[in-house]
Amino acid sequence: MEERTRAYLRGRFRDHYRRTEITLPPAANEREWGYIPWTDGPGTTMVRHRSLLELGAVEEFLERERPRHVYFSAGRYDDPGAGSMSEKGWRSSDLVFDLDADHLPSVTLGEDSYAEMLAKCKDALRRLLDFLEDDFAFEDLEVVFSGGRGYHVHVRDESVRHLDREHRREIVDYVRGIGLEFDELVETETVAGLGRKTPTERRTLRTDGGWGRRTHRRLVAFVDELLELEETAALERLQAFDGIGEGKATATLNAARNNREELEAGNVTVHTAVAQLAERFASRAVERDNAPIDEPVTTDTNRLIRLPGSLHGGSALEVRRIDRDELDAFDPLVDAVPETFRGHEIAVDVTRGGEVELGGDIFTVPEGDQSLPEYVATFLMARGRAEKEKER
Amino acid sequence: MQRLHARYPFLQAARESVATEAVDLATVVEQDDAVVDRARERVVAAVEEGETGEPRRDVRTELLSYPVARVLVSLVDQPVLVRKYARAEAETAYDRFTTDLEDTTELKSVENAGVDLETLLAEFDLEDAVSETGEGYRIAVGAYLPLAADLWGDEWRLVNRALADGEVPVSEAELLTLCREAVRERVEEGLPFDVPDAIASALESEAAAVREVLSDLDLTREIDTVVPELFPPCMKALLDDIQKGEHLPHHSRFAITSFLTSIGMSTDEIVELYRVNSSFGEEMTRYQTDHISGETSPTEYSPPSCATMQSYGDCVNKDDLCERVAHPMAYYERRIDDTDDDDLEDWREARADGDGEA
Repeated sequence: MEERTRAYLRGRFRDHYRRTEITLPPAANEREWGYIPWTDGPGTTMVRHRSLLELGAVEEFLERERPRHVYFSAGRYDDPGAGSMSEKGWRSSDLVFDLDADHLPSVTLGEDSYAEMLAKCKDALRRLLDFLEDDFAFEDLEVVFSGGRGYHVHVRDESVRHLDREHRREIVDYVRGIGLEFDELVETETVAGLGRKTPTERRTLRTDGGWGRRTHRRLVAFVDELLELEETAALERLQAFDGIGEGKATATLNAARNNREELEAGNVTVHTAVAQLAERFASRAVERDNAPIDEPVTTDTNRLIRLPGSLHGGSALEVRRIDRDELDAFDPLVDAVPETFRGHEIAVDVTRGGEVELGGDIFTVPEGDQSLPEYVATFLMARGRAEKEKER
Repeated sequence: MQRLHARYPFLQAARESVATEAVDLATVVEQDDAVVDRARERVVAAVEEGETGEPRRDVRTELLSYPVARVLVSLVDQPVLVRKYARAEAETAYDRFTTDLEDTTELKSVENAGVDLETLLAEFDLEDAVSETGEGYRIAVGAYLPLAADLWGDEWRLVNRALADGEVPVSEAELLTLCREAVRERVEEGLPFDVPDAIASALESEAAAVREVLSDLDLTREIDTVVPELFPPCMKALLDDIQKGEHLPHHSRFAITSFLTSIGMSTDEIVELYRVNSSFGEEMTRYQTDHISGETSPTEYSPPSCATMQSYGDCVNKDDLCERVAHPMAYYERRIDDTDDDDLEDWREARADGDGEA
């Protein structure tokens, strides 16, 4: 990035901060703050271990320093400005989740467009929120578009702020389905054998919560689909599973027809083939329902996270808080375009052109000098794909 | 001073009662031999048996021995001792409160030396986090995670729990295990602390005694001989089951695996020993063995004592020697001592020979 481009972006970031009101996170003065200034050269140096005492009012600081990136800590401390973690005196931490398009298995890097990546990320976000709001019943959640390639969720419920890194790892494993053991989802009780000499075991999938409930939902939905099908089609569906041949398929279909209620209650003892099928659906539930969050972000109780309301120096988009009921309608490529950069064009020299989807339009940008809407121009400059045109 | 406090000396109320009696620990350790004696016994039994020894009938001696035992643990100042001591106190408390809770007879003693579940939960600020349901209990996930963190076994992992509405369903037995963990955490809290010189010098010989017991323990750990024929009957039975491909409950797998690590077997060797059966799940065995041996976890687990084996129903085929030892490791050690070195054939060497021929 050339100096004049950097100077331009700094100036325009200042203009943005002049007209933007920043809502601080709760207990902002107990948190560590950090930022990355606009510097030349490839190295980025983070200035961190700052407290609000040192920075002063955040809005004034942002206007004065107009940093490239701004962060605050998930952790709260006795002395947030101390130079090392041990001196800070940790009190508690928000529980933070990060979904990054770069880490999503469903995303094909280099093939998916920015918009497609963000759409897939939003699907993952919905799955994550399902865990957080339903299984964990968290109440104090803040959903944020990161300004880059994903979303953050900040959980601030008192009941989990004390958890340390190992405990948080359990939460990560839960939402990612790591370490799931099908046998543990099943409750075994011994029942007196009906007409048999030996007592038998009844194995019931836990339907009241957790991955057992997710597995069960998928299993029952599948059984219902089966029941709608013609016999031959149903048998074919079943035999598509590895290890299920004609005999087991027939047995399963019979169990589905005759023991629908038992299955509904989670009883997987109705036939060995059913138990086998249920186990398949546990893996399938993990595959389809898990939220591929970035583990280190959640387990690090001292993590620095982007400040909502600030600008992302790698995209010139705004880090945006999203109201929970506006999530469906939220379009990051429209709603995160800063107001300041709308409504006028500027001249830039594009070094790497291509399609840019932003602000509700798709621009096919050629290389070379040209005039572009400012938000497209700032996006390309921040991404290193354009330079501010030389003054003539 | 109440008998309740002597039985559960980690209770806040017990701590306060020691404080209000204006007990000066320095005077106690200098003058009260019975207390010091009992304190040393607490710590030594914790190291040797994973228990806290025989309680004294005198309430005062029994109660005061707890803070003195903590001083002793602090003086010796070794992480392994802190861990073992806290675990033993927790185990003792667990045995006592499970007995108390089973005792539903109306004829409670006049002094009321027992606890009920309510008191226990309130003691650890869990009364709001835990609620009773028809089938058991539900505990808030934020309280569950720290308490379950050090528990061994897949069934404790959150991913395998029926979490719903922010709560984890647990059975009564599981809830009591979580309470045991709460006690352990309470006992461990603040240990080791700085001991004033006057107290330290008065307890010098006791501290030396504990150090010696600890170093003996290190010796027993250095057993590095694998002769399955000399294993205690319980371990033989468990190994047999594994090799037959039977599915063992977690506590049993833990018992045999921690036993094998303690006698010097590596993860690779254990995997191989189990492999007689083809369907034993190598991946899982590796993971668990690495965890137990301290390879991938902060703790090096030691195998359960005879008492624990009994309570899990893993103590089988008892023989004469079993009657005389309190720990499967002690059994094995004796059998090895009693056998001529020349007659000891290490399984690992036999196996290596076999490989050579093949």
